[in-house]
Amino acid sequence: MKKFLQIALGIVTSVGGFLEIGSVTTAAQAGASFGYKLLWAILIGTICLIFLVEMSGRFSAVSKHTIVDAMRERFGFPFFSIVLFGMVLVAFMVLVAELGGIGLSLQILTGIGFPWWAIPVSFVVWLLMWKGTFGLIENGVSLLGLVTICFVVAAVKLHPDWHHAARGLLPALEGDQKAKYGFVAVSILGASISPYLMYFYSSGAIEDEWDVSYIPINRVIAFFGMSFGGVLSMAVLVTSALALQPNGIDIDKFDQAALLMTTALPRWGFYLFAVSMLIACLGAALEISLAISYFFAQGFGWNWSESLTPSKDARFCLTYTIIILLAAVPLLLHIDPIKVTMISMALTAATLPLAIIPFLFLMNDPIYLGEHRNGWISNSVVGIVILISFVLAVISIPLQIIGG
Amino acid sequence: MDLVRDVLDKKLMDREDCEMGRVDGLVMRIGENSQPRITHIEIGGKTLWMRLHPGIAKLAATLARTWGPKRAATVRIPWSHVVTAGKEIKLDVEARETGAIDWEIWIARHIIERIPGGGHEEEE
Repeated sequence: MKKFLQIALGIVTSVGGFLEIGSVTTAAQAGASFGYKLLWAILIGTICLIFLVEMSGRFSAVSKHTIVDAMRERFGFPFFSIVLFGMVLVAFMVLVAELGGIGLSLQILTGIGFPWWAIPVSFVVWLLMWKGTFGLIENGVSLLGLVTICFVVAAVKLHPDWHHAARGLLPALEGDQKAKYGFVAVSILGASISPYLMYFYSSGAIEDEWDVSYIPINRVIAFFGMSFGGVLSMAVLVTSALALQPNGIDIDKFDQAALLMTTALPRWGFYLFAVSMLIACLGAALEISLAISYFFAQGFGWNWSESLTPSKDARFCLTYTIIILLAAVPLLLHIDPIKVTMISMALTAATLPLAIIPFLFLMNDPIYLGEHRNGWISNSVVGIVILISFVLAVISIPLQIIGG
Repeated sequence: MDLVRDVLDKKLMDREDCEMGRVDGLVMRIGENSQPRITHIEIGGKTLWMRLHPGIAKLAATLARTWGPKRAATVRIPWSHVVTAGKEIKLDVEARETGAIDWEIWIARHIIERIPGGGHEEEE
């Protein structure tokens, strides 16, 4: 019974925590510009994420190490510092985007511009970290995140043509606008395959004291949690394809994205969208701040636990305090959160090899995993998706920059 | 024992299972008539940054002189204090007395404790 509850809670929190500004913006943009044609990117991104999350949980349950611990031990400090620099830089940009997402949601709810919200929002995020425990952040916020299921309701209410949508699950080349198509595909992959989620999940497995007996539970949670999450992203894309594409609305402003719910749910759509985004971005902001602090603390061997009093893990707490404060600065300077989102998602995709290839080495290491190490299926699936994302990123990011 | 695989960069725990950093460096002694021996484990930024670039180490040292706990020498723990070396390296020392967690204590006292709700570093 206890195990069943754990599985249920695990799935529910994964679903509630899945959507954030990256997945919503990229999926909405894909739908608005290309109809159903980019559904395949969400599909392969989600499949890859299922494998990666399963691996992260298994790695920590078996080896009792977090991914970051093992990365420093196996590859040594010089290589570790390169990964640290790359990952923290990208995660920081994503954090700026999430805080911006909260600010934009408040802006469309209250009419007060997002730069005014930068300080209050980062203060609330910091306060939740300062006062909260790991359980509160993992479960509380993700449970509230279930409100994002409203995107599925909206998608179904618009009666999509399912056959047509299913065709979008197969990759196809776009005739014109090739550069933009590639760039949006890359951003979707970056938004789906978030390395910070792996660090967060693997640290969570250690905080919750998982052991080998959790391997089956972990598999079920990873599969169902991430699949349902992927369905939410697809629902955003479908809603956007039906509500925005016919009207020729292209998303470069957040209030345009808000329109995607009003076609399906005229009365509540606007507020539901704003509240969903607010909660989803808040959850993601907390997870990313934690992931960055975990990265430093584990890499350097500091005490860390989100459930300790701050003075018992001072360096860990100082790290997230500084990161959250710094993340408010770009927003105060009126930098457009949607632009930051698109750039940081594409950069995530471009830096995936840096995060994932060392991780695959660890997953195949008998010293850490013994008989529980990866088989050829997991290695090939993750390897291929990472390769596709990287190649697409290298081709489409420069094209997008040249094309403006 | 394979020094680089099994010792370098591993996590260090003190007598009371308190985290005290990682093995940032190892000191070996080469005698004229004897076998080389590992004598100390080094902990701390100085050793760590040297592994990246001497320039970064110099910069870090300059910054540490104006800000942070004052400590001139690198923290060195004699190898004889190693109890076990497995998943982590367990040492028969008190983390606080070695200087390995000077920064942790300094940040707790000077920054974290001054913020409301930060608690106190010395409380049990």
